[in-house]
Amino acid sequence: MQVFKLCMQIIRKNIPVMLIYVILTAVVTALMVSDIDKEYQKEISFTPAKRSIAFISEDNSLLIDGFREALGQIVNFVELDETQLQDALYFREVTYIVRVPAGFTEEFMKGADVKIDKSTVPNSVSNTYIDLFINQYFNTARLYIKNIDGISQELLVQYLKEDLSKTSNAEVKSTTGKKVTYPTYSNNYFNFFAYTLISVIILGMSMLMIVFNDRNLKMRNSCAPVIPGSINLQFILANLFFTFASWAILVVMSFIFNYKNSLNAYTVYFIISSFIYSFCCASISFLIGNLIKSQNAVYAVCNTIGLGSSFISGVFVPQELLSGSILKIASFTPAYWYVKANNAIAKLTQFDYRHLQPIFSDLMIVAGFGLAFFAVALAIGKRKNYIEN
Amino acid sequence: MIVKVRNLVKRYGNLVALDHLSLSVKEGEIFGLLGPNGSGKTTAINCILSLLKYDKGEIEIFNQPMSPDAYNIKRDIGIVMQNVAVYNELTVYGNIDYFCGLYITDKRKRRELVKEAIDFAGLGEYTHFYPKKLSSGLLRRLNIACGIAHKPKLIILDEPTVAVDPQSRNKILEGIMKLNEQGATVIYTSHYMEEVEQICSMITILDKGRAIVTGTKEQLKDMITMGEKITVETFGLSDTQLSAIKGLPNVISVDYKDNLLVIKSSKGRNNLENILDVVKKEDIRFGKIYSELPTLNDVFLEITGKELRD
Repeated sequence: MQVFKLCMQIIRKNIPVMLIYVILTAVVTALMVSDIDKEYQKEISFTPAKRSIAFISEDNSLLIDGFREALGQIVNFVELDETQLQDALYFREVTYIVRVPAGFTEEFMKGADVKIDKSTVPNSVSNTYIDLFINQYFNTARLYIKNIDGISQELLVQYLKEDLSKTSNAEVKSTTGKKVTYPTYSNNYFNFFAYTLISVIILGMSMLMIVFNDRNLKMRNSCAPVIPGSINLQFILANLFFTFASWAILVVMSFIFNYKNSLNAYTVYFIISSFIYSFCCASISFLIGNLIKSQNAVYAVCNTIGLGSSFISGVFVPQELLSGSILKIASFTPAYWYVKANNAIAKLTQFDYRHLQPIFSDLMIVAGFGLAFFAVALAIGKRKNYIEN
Repeated sequence: MIVKVRNLVKRYGNLVALDHLSLSVKEGEIFGLLGPNGSGKTTAINCILSLLKYDKGEIEIFNQPMSPDAYNIKRDIGIVMQNVAVYNELTVYGNIDYFCGLYITDKRKRRELVKEAIDFAGLGEYTHFYPKKLSSGLLRRLNIACGIAHKPKLIILDEPTVAVDPQSRNKILEGIMKLNEQGATVIYTSHYMEEVEQICSMITILDKGRAIVTGTKEQLKDMITMGEKITVETFGLSDTQLSAIKGLPNVISVDYKDNLLVIKSSKGRNNLENILDVVKKEDIRFGKIYSELPTLNDVFLEITGKELRD
């Protein structure tokens, strides 16, 4: 396995250059993760906002005091006198005015159908929440009064306080009944993956190809008692190993940065998609390696192809924001189909064949690109050998 | 016979690179292929090694027909290319180990052989250096070490001293002779006649793809009419004085240019003495006067009418 080992040493020598791309990915991913985390928290968490209300009570009782105290948990009270109330409501200093009429407690304790007066800002959603709370408080109180004869206000307030302090967890469910997950991170990561992977593979493989296509070294190797097929096989194995290792490292990186958001079915499809794309990258690199003769040219081509295809294919800028003509041009690059497949994966709600079929079609196009590049590279390699002989 | 080449013809389109070339290299020889640039030395070597397809002819190495898949023959051949062919990504040790590893799979044996090759090439201080850090002389030595580390029976060196300083060149030539003393047969190509003259026991002079003469250096020199070249550093020679020199016995040609008088004579015992007599008699003032035996360049010049370095 001399040739295989040699390939590994050549790749190892070029690791510092390749690391630049990996570090860039790591930085972008770290920024992406922190940004997505914030967005994600915003999306999934509920933090009650306290509205400002005015509380006017014409009835003094333990029940009303208890009610005010409980209401104070979800609103801020603004102290206003009678003359300021309408202005405060108009200028949105308060959005809700609660008025407890005189004799309310006495009638309520008797089981009468008495109501609390309210004045609100029209069409305010937050007021519904206050309405719900008030209803909940007095409906619960009514239940106690109805079922416990002669219950005192003090005991009633105590029971209500206990009952209302209890909370329960809510889980957001999708329409299909499955737990909702957010593949935004994986989608963004695996889209950016296209740029990193193609850059790293072009660098690594082209360097290998340049070294192995060196005429003098080729001749020297040909003088050795080694079957050319064995040299070629070891060379192909090394390239495949390098491609696989690059892909695997980048996949592992996606888990390291945000494993919580990566442990889902979407990630499996993203991994499959990136795996197919990685072999397409290998074919492109194989072709480039056959065409290029100097190491400096590799850097130039790597940047041109890596950045160029990424910009027009939606790796950096979402495809939705790119113009139709750019996307038409981009459709001649495998990166476009890869990103398209990834975006489709991110939008999946069900993982059945009907939903997956368009994704597989896109990935087949990526694989087709890979085969086409490989065939062209083989043809060029054969022609070069023919000319050399 | 270690190498036998019969009627080898190689054409590049209309250009005949090798024109019915025949060679025989015996065991233990340092066989020199001498010729100017473009005479077909490298093409001949590439054909011998089956790196190039040829149009006609037969090549046998170790009495077996040579072909690209003659791995048992290749196992005993060491090749040092004209251009340095080493991996810039490997250290000096790594390069020798890699090329040796293509021939020797046993790691322990290989380690010993690599060490020996490093010592032989005098690269002990540079084992961890990358080729880009080496001078051209050291690089050439590394190139040689890579070719001979597996201790081949036949070593082919294609112009190994091109662009090398005199000190490194001497080391390389000494090394080749040492390898030969250790039992290796060597084929050495060069366009430097001094090198070939210095180390080769058998020489073939190539021109335009043809072997024009083959023999030991003595045999080659015997083939030409010139036996001695006498040079006189003088100025202001008259036609009479020149005529007197031209009239001397054995004189083949007289050339007077830039205050240097070069007299070529056929073999004769008193050539220098006769010239000194004329110098004295004609009262020719001179700075230096010296006699040289013919070189391979003179052989080449007499046979082809042009200098080796043309």
